[in-house]
Amino acid sequence: MFSTATLMEDNIQKLKEKANFVRRQILEMVVAAGKGHIGGAFSCTDILVSLYYGDVLRFDSSNPNWDKRDRFILSKGHTAAALYAILSDLGYFPCTELNNFQKENCILGGHPDRKIPGIEADTGSLGHGLGIGIGLALSAKLDKKDFMTFVLMGDGECYEGSVWEAAMFASHHKLNNLVGIVDKNNLCILDFTKNCVNMEPLEDKWKSFGWDVITIDGHSFEELDSVFSKVRSRQSEKPLMIIANTIKGKGVSFMENKPEWHHSVPNQEQLEMARKELSKE
Amino acid sequence: MTIDKDLRDAFFDELYNLAKNDPQIMFLTADMGAFGLVKFKQDFPNQYINVGIAEQNMVSIAAGLALAGKKVFIYTIIPFITQRCYEQINVDLCGMNLPVTIVGVGPGFTYASDGPTHHATQDIAIMRALPEITILNPSDAASVTAFVYIAYKNSGPTYIRLDKGKVPEIYKKTNNFSDGLTELSQGKELTIIATGNMVRRALEVAEELKKRNISIGVVDLYRIKPLNEEKILGIIDNSKRLVTLEENNIVGGIGSAISEILSDNGKNIPLKRMAIPDEHCFKSGTRESLQAFYNLDINGIIKNILGE
Repeated sequence: MFSTATLMEDNIQKLKEKANFVRRQILEMVVAAGKGHIGGAFSCTDILVSLYYGDVLRFDSSNPNWDKRDRFILSKGHTAAALYAILSDLGYFPCTELNNFQKENCILGGHPDRKIPGIEADTGSLGHGLGIGIGLALSAKLDKKDFMTFVLMGDGECYEGSVWEAAMFASHHKLNNLVGIVDKNNLCILDFTKNCVNMEPLEDKWKSFGWDVITIDGHSFEELDSVFSKVRSRQSEKPLMIIANTIKGKGVSFMENKPEWHHSVPNQEQLEMARKELSKE
Repeated sequence: MTIDKDLRDAFFDELYNLAKNDPQIMFLTADMGAFGLVKFKQDFPNQYINVGIAEQNMVSIAAGLALAGKKVFIYTIIPFITQRCYEQINVDLCGMNLPVTIVGVGPGFTYASDGPTHHATQDIAIMRALPEITILNPSDAASVTAFVYIAYKNSGPTYIRLDKGKVPEIYKKTNNFSDGLTELSQGKELTIIATGNMVRRALEVAEELKKRNISIGVVDLYRIKPLNEEKILGIIDNSKRLVTLEENNIVGGIGSAISEILSDNGKNIPLKRMAIPDEHCFKSGTRESLQAFYNLDINGIIKNILGE
């Protein structure tokens, strides 16, 4: 008999391996395409892996429009490569599509759209996803359906005013079936957010807008699981915001925390180094 | 001429009738009221939301509701429901081709003395550039009623420009609007293609010129997108001269749309575009006085037509 602790460790090891696999896929996709947003894709990889492989989201990849599925919106649409790698691995579309990421006649564009199986909403312009998520969460309340809606945003995205319009609305309407996640890697495109326009204290901002807020390490599967595993049993009337502290470029040492890796493409030497680092665990 | 019911009442009465039979209809307002809305709100509290003065959020929420199967109507003053949240309309509603109806109140100089922040003179130009949208510009109560139903049945996004007040009846309630335009009268000398409240103006101009033995045709172009190009070409071929008439900026309105059809089809026929010149109007006054200032009153139009 395995103890619960061992099972947990086993699962976490599997999630870590999956995250490494997803990051390797992202790396190869971006290199093959000659463009893409590696930094932000790496910072949200663990969050996505936890959602899709950690028994959090309800979905059926053989029936993408299953009525009872949870709705996941990648509001920071520029990191689509991470989601594509996962969706293809789960069987939403053939993995061979990944080789053609952003190329002619490929369904996988630089930003996600609903023509791709498993994608709930077209995104790419920041600050739209939370409002769309609210519409979905509100409809679930009105129609007495029990699916949940998850919206993953970037912290740079929180500069958009529409995010705060949505934030105010969601708490007023007690959308406790809505979960927001901020992939807080502390970087926008050109600079660290603290140098661009300081958004701290971000947690207090969400709290003052009427949300429950939990701040976690967005690269710790234990911490991700501890929050995600309870989203369905919350007693609070408030929507939940998870601020996930992350590192842009996470997983490849020379990319981590470097603004230039927002959408740089590795050269051959860097590619070899990145492959090596992502094969370790 | 019969004066029909208030245009906004026509809108809300029809919406009420539809919502009564379809609980999936949702009405969202960005803190903009109307007399006819009171009853809707009272009787269908679960189908009404005031989202506050947050138009961008209203559009995104509408998209989310529509993704979940709702038929959504969103409502406020035209500049705020078109310009303020244009990108949300483009990406969330048009890109995803969702059944959301944007109801903009106050076309042209409806809010005359409120100044250019409230004037709706550029919306046709920008909304026309959205690929999936249907743009409907009613000219009387019957067309308002019909367009609510057309929008409700549309599987994609619709934009309705809603004027206010009681206006003379142009159409019978049974009129079929599926052609996208109606040739209200034919004329030998010239055809005016008008839209919205300028359709009545065109009819008045035609009446006045008839007294001077000048025969003018009037076309109500109520579906600004998609245009019925075939019908429009038929009208062009039967006209010696064309005038487009709109209470709208001259850039990008129906004058531009008709010019495009003329040039794309190699039609060599004189066209005079009558509209508001390309400027912000800071002049205060009534709607009629602003129209007169820009020669969109009967006299101004007649002088323009006669080249006086």
